[in-house]
Amino acid sequence: MTQGKAFTLEQDGALWRGRFSAMASHCECLVRGVSKSQALALFECVTEEAWRIERKYSRFRQDNLMAAINAGDGRWVDIDDESARLLDFAGQCWQLSDGAFDITSGVLRRAWHFDGSNRLPKPEQVDALLSLVGWNKVERQPGKIRLQAGMELDLGGIGKEYAVDSAFQLAGQFTDADVLVNFGGDLVARAAQAPWQVGMEGTAKPVAGQLQFTTGALATSGDSRRFLLRDGVRYSHVLDPRSGWPVSGAPRAVTVYGRQCTQAGLLSTLALLQGKDAETLLRGAGVQYWIQWGNDAPIAG
Amino acid sequence: MGVDLVAVAVAVIEEGVMKKKLDGKTIGSGLAAATCALLGQPVQAQPADDAWQFDSAVLYYAEQDRVTAVEPVVRGKKQFGDDSELELKLTLDSLTGASHNGAIKSDKPQTFTSPSGSQEYQATNEVPLDDSFKDTRVAANMQYTRPFSRTMRWTAGMNFSNEYDFTSLGLNAGLLWDLNNKNTTLTFGLAHEADTIDPVGGVPIGLTFQSNQQKSDGTEDRTINDLLFGITQVINRNWLMQLNYSVSISDGYQTDPYKIVTVVDANGDPLEAESFGAADIGVGDAHIFELRPDSRTKNALYWENRYHFNRDVLAVGYRFMSDDWGITSHTLDVKYRFQFDNGWFLQPHVRWYEQGEADFYRESVSAADLNTLDEVSADYRLGNLTDTTYGVKLGKQWKNNQQWSFRVESFQQSGDSDASELDALITQVGYTFYW
Repeated sequence: MTQGKAFTLEQDGALWRGRFSAMASHCECLVRGVSKSQALALFECVTEEAWRIERKYSRFRQDNLMAAINAGDGRWVDIDDESARLLDFAGQCWQLSDGAFDITSGVLRRAWHFDGSNRLPKPEQVDALLSLVGWNKVERQPGKIRLQAGMELDLGGIGKEYAVDSAFQLAGQFTDADVLVNFGGDLVARAAQAPWQVGMEGTAKPVAGQLQFTTGALATSGDSRRFLLRDGVRYSHVLDPRSGWPVSGAPRAVTVYGRQCTQAGLLSTLALLQGKDAETLLRGAGVQYWIQWGNDAPIAG
Repeated sequence: MGVDLVAVAVAVIEEGVMKKKLDGKTIGSGLAAATCALLGQPVQAQPADDAWQFDSAVLYYAEQDRVTAVEPVVRGKKQFGDDSELELKLTLDSLTGASHNGAIKSDKPQTFTSPSGSQEYQATNEVPLDDSFKDTRVAANMQYTRPFSRTMRWTAGMNFSNEYDFTSLGLNAGLLWDLNNKNTTLTFGLAHEADTIDPVGGVPIGLTFQSNQQKSDGTEDRTINDLLFGITQVINRNWLMQLNYSVSISDGYQTDPYKIVTVVDANGDPLEAESFGAADIGVGDAHIFELRPDSRTKNALYWENRYHFNRDVLAVGYRFMSDDWGITSHTLDVKYRFQFDNGWFLQPHVRWYEQGEADFYRESVSAADLNTLDEVSADYRLGNLTDTTYGVKLGKQWKNNQQWSFRVESFQQSGDSDASELDALITQVGYTFYW
């Protein structure tokens, strides 16, 4: 098994549940009405895919493609087909969001530490980092990428959702059975038999809502535990890459229901980046959503 | 002072956000398209959903010094909303050249009569070929498959084929049963075919001398009934296995009306027809019309494995056939598809075929055999054979699912007789599109 990692298997009637951990999240895969060996084979394929994507794109590793790109130091770095598609996708999101979503914005974390304290960075610190932020500064050629020295890519905003979709696609080639893939709350599922029941986590109450669905994806952006508080002002961890400062008035969490997890995840992220206009964006996009503004029950739309 | 600065910064952001109010609709549809591109799925419903898929190809087959065939094929396939599928196929075959007439290759001259009986021709020191071999075949197939429960589909089809001396009409029906979460599919099939053979110049009386031209008017018939049982099994997510067993029972006229057998002396030299009281049409003219049994039952087993690597595909097929004529054959077929970026693929192909001869196969017969033989054929296709085919196919698939391919293969055959030694070149251009 990869890196000595493993998954645990539980049976509950016709339901098999495989649990494992990847991308710093609790992950699970559920499948109904298959044999044990089929369930095992399916879970193996799902876990392998999750770990593969984690290995390849994690920014916490020094031996992967992300590290190579970020260490490029102004030189061209070769990338494979899958990475090119991910970067194309990130570029499209940057364009659609007018620069609000930017995978080069990770360097801002050097100034911002959302530890619940009141330590805000100095504006000149932020300004200095802003010169290293901007997808428009990244050069692309077919099969290659070049970052300016000091710039960094972080696929953290896409990677997990992409892994969910990719693992689910593999699972779908494997079986016709009902399958649910859930990586840390970002999930995609399909069901021909009975709908899946999904509980939504809230900030104040452990369960903010129950959702039933047969086919589709759910993704949530926002984290109520990551913020700074100073002089009564709450600074959300959602940074606007254009200013380097937190988006004001951002909801605590946005959950979106979509066809694919990647689509739902990005929509929830883009909504969060809109601050108080989050709901306007979601309504315009015509999706089902849940917004959690404070400690109240989420607003659904 | 720090606090004031922060407040200013926040105000600036507020203003920025006010200016850039994003249009949710544009973002929603843009993201949907971007996600599909990322995950490799079509943006809308499958473009092929409502379209006919056409596979067209032209095959060119050229035997050295013998037959040349040009075969265009068009196949149309459409899937309907109820998951049923209709497939239509039209094949045109145009053959020219010469084919072996059955006689031995001899350093002595031999004389033959053309199939129509109107001409004589001679051959010395070469495989005797009948060069009146020209034909055009038209074949049409139709197959319809439709689900009738969550796990069962029925299929039915008909096929028609016509050439100047042969007409065939066939019907088939089958059942496909998905089990085990569609990991297993069972197939049952039945087929019936009725053939009419109308040889040029009449139907020769088997085992009589060709020089006598003893033929009956009218046509001959043959019916073929096939039974097939198959199982397709998903072994794991990379490996698909298929096992088919089929029985084919053919009743009626099996003989090739244009094939003869040379009567030879103890030295293996061709004899004269007149020494047997038959008509004399020239030197070395002792050839009898072949005669085959009036039924044939074949049993065949086919085993195929398809293994999907990350992108490449390996396909290995093995076929075993045995019939009540005493023929057994083995076929091994291996293909490996290298799948490259941008839709290109390269597929090397190796095929090996070995066949043991029929009980009544003789390269030639002796004068004494004439009194004892019930059936005989010198058709090299019923003798011992070894075929090898090497080839490669190159193709490209576009994003809109159009595909073109080019295939070239070298075919080499060897066997016991001189006539069986054969080389051929096969080339094919294919194009798949949606309409």
